[in-house]
Amino acid sequence: MKRFGALPAYVRWPIYAFVAVFVLTVSQNLDGTDRLTSVTTAQSMLRWAVPILLAGLGGLYSERAGVVNIGLEGMMIVGTWMGAWGALKFGPWWGIVAALVGGALGGLLHAVATVSFGVDHIISGVAINILAPGLTRFLSSIVEIPGWSITQSPRVPGVGSATLPILAGGKIGGWTSPDLLGWIGRKDWFLVSDLADLAKGLVTRAPWVTIGALVFVPFTVWLLWRTRFGLRLRICGEYPAAGEVQGINVYKYKYIAVIISGALAGLGGAFIAGPELSGIYLEGQTQGRGFVGLAALIFGNWKPGGVMGASLLFGYPFGIGLRDLDGSASHALILVSAVGLGLVALSAFRRGRKADAGLALSLGALSVVWYLLSDSVESVWINIFPYVIVLLVLVFFAQRLRMPAADGEIYRRGEA
Amino acid sequence: MKKSVRYLAGLLALAMVVAACGDEGEGPGGDDAPHVGLVFDIGGRGDQSFNDAAAAGLDKAVAELGVTKSEASPNDDGSNRAELLQLAADESDIVIAVGFLFEGDAAAVAAENPEVNFAVVDTPMINGETNEPYSDNTAGLVFAEHEGSFLVGAAAALKSETGVIGFIGGVSGMGGLIEKFEAGFVAGARAVNPDIEIVRQYITAAPDFDGFVAPDRGREIALSMYEDNGADIIYHAAGLSGSGLFDAAKEFSEASGSKVWAIGVDSDQYNTAGDEVKDYILTSMLKRVDVAVFEIIKAHIEGNFASGPQEYDLSVDGVGYATSGGFIDDITDTLDDYKAKIVSGEIEVPTTPAP
Repeated sequence: MKRFGALPAYVRWPIYAFVAVFVLTVSQNLDGTDRLTSVTTAQSMLRWAVPILLAGLGGLYSERAGVVNIGLEGMMIVGTWMGAWGALKFGPWWGIVAALVGGALGGLLHAVATVSFGVDHIISGVAINILAPGLTRFLSSIVEIPGWSITQSPRVPGVGSATLPILAGGKIGGWTSPDLLGWIGRKDWFLVSDLADLAKGLVTRAPWVTIGALVFVPFTVWLLWRTRFGLRLRICGEYPAAGEVQGINVYKYKYIAVIISGALAGLGGAFIAGPELSGIYLEGQTQGRGFVGLAALIFGNWKPGGVMGASLLFGYPFGIGLRDLDGSASHALILVSAVGLGLVALSAFRRGRKADAGLALSLGALSVVWYLLSDSVESVWINIFPYVIVLLVLVFFAQRLRMPAADGEIYRRGEA
Repeated sequence: MKKSVRYLAGLLALAMVVAACGDEGEGPGGDDAPHVGLVFDIGGRGDQSFNDAAAAGLDKAVAELGVTKSEASPNDDGSNRAELLQLAADESDIVIAVGFLFEGDAAAVAAENPEVNFAVVDTPMINGETNEPYSDNTAGLVFAEHEGSFLVGAAAALKSETGVIGFIGGVSGMGGLIEKFEAGFVAGARAVNPDIEIVRQYITAAPDFDGFVAPDRGREIALSMYEDNGADIIYHAAGLSGSGLFDAAKEFSEASGSKVWAIGVDSDQYNTAGDEVKDYILTSMLKRVDVAVFEIIKAHIEGNFASGPQEYDLSVDGVGYATSGGFIDDITDTLDDYKAKIVSGEIEVPTTPAP
């Protein structure tokens, strides 16, 4: 039998998704709730995952070209402001353009500092994170839009959303197409209905930015791994000297990568400020999602599919936590995490990492005890759940990850 | 010594700049008429919220009580609040500051100007360490939010078709501040319909105050109440996060085809929340800052100025409900009956929420 890891990505990812939904379904049936796999849960997961995904993809481009971009948060902040400003000044689509440009300018600054001047990547990134809130506050003070105060904008218009026809009941012209997934979802078939519900949530009233972000994942795979441009960009992150010997303009590729990186983070900012999430620009509204995006990048092993999986993993408990008014869905989530920790322990044991296996096993056992002794979860635990997941994931998977070899190193032309 | 001289010099320079911005004493009344100094929150007149309400109260006092007035607004980041208060104190008999952000500065300036009275809107002006008013000349203008919330709770129960209504609080555990809204809302709804189901959620718990500025989370919670719990009317006491509730009401109404409602808070949010969402705002629980400002000026003139929290309740129309949009015109008689019963003491509105 072929090893599982040797299977191609388009086979592995559906299997991952299937296993995840299976665990969710079994857990919620044990707990007697239907919230873990409902249509609205999938929608909210996507809502909270997309800014993280965009920041993570931004980090991917930058770090694949060898530039650590801790300034994603700052570029995202610029994106929130520019997105709101552009949308209010020129119209919703221009808000998207403005956010892309604003983020890209942040990326350009980072590229100038790190690539041309050889500034330490972390220092430049931190500087951008400090600069961005000051810049947006200054811009707020000079902007002339009625109702725009020093810390907030008026209501921001958005580019709208779409529902997939045939499968989820979207409209084609004036005709309301059948809602196939909704029909299966209402049948209450074990697992099948749960899969249908989650799938329906992903394609029902999906904002165009979300659709764009999701399409960008396979596009990134193609661009970075199937084109000459991608190969050259990745050489800059692995072994820039070799690239230079081949005649590649390493500086140019690093610049392009970091600018794309900033633009993606800026788009994430527009998503946060736009009606997709907040519907209003507010100072400090990114809430560290740029940093969570970096965590998603690391957990995703610097691969687009991995970044997407990690973003959904972080977005899922966040959405559930907010929607879980009586704490019952989070209670079922404890069981899910116990199963997850059990799987982690199993895989760690098989690879001979006994310490990891022991830690995961005892945490899993603690989760089971907590699950059995409680009926619901206090909201304080619900709020920190996503961050606990980030921590656990990094603890257990950090050793298996492989970052680009020259990531974060300062490269000078002519050193080859 | 040297430091205080420098401070004074800076203050003088600033005073000259700011004096140019303020309206100098206008209105009827001779030299013996009291002078009122009003210091706005950031934004000044025209914010369609607390500032405008305070200005309306002051205008009424000028017209009816014959006081003279001067007005000032802080700069954009509010860093000159203390200087503006001192400036107003120099020429006024009573200084009114709009917004709880003035609390610390007003307490400090009041201590240095014992002959001037200070009133700050929306804070009790109680020293957290001693549980006493900061000084004899500081009053806080607060509102019986639970009584106003009772009325909008009754309105929600009267208007609900699903029998499920919701409450979203911004931050829990701030000394029961937001719980007061919840208590009144729940009591009002149950007075109309004892069996009504009320889903309640706070966005954050103190000391995490993000709950007042998180429209994204407010929207998610509101959507959950509409989509998963079947609520059709949701009341919020969550500041800016309420804008997420209005978005959710619009979004759910358009997607599901059945109209759901939101209830605003503090000011008449039908007029302030934006044209796209105004049609989803059933009513708003009003804090009548204009009433409070007028009443405290009147008390000052009559020699009845008292320190510490001054609560304005239904009996002086210090709180109320909005009728903009005309969505509750059919039930105002019932609501006014409840109001009369609260004013007469027949109904006592609790300040801590029933389970």
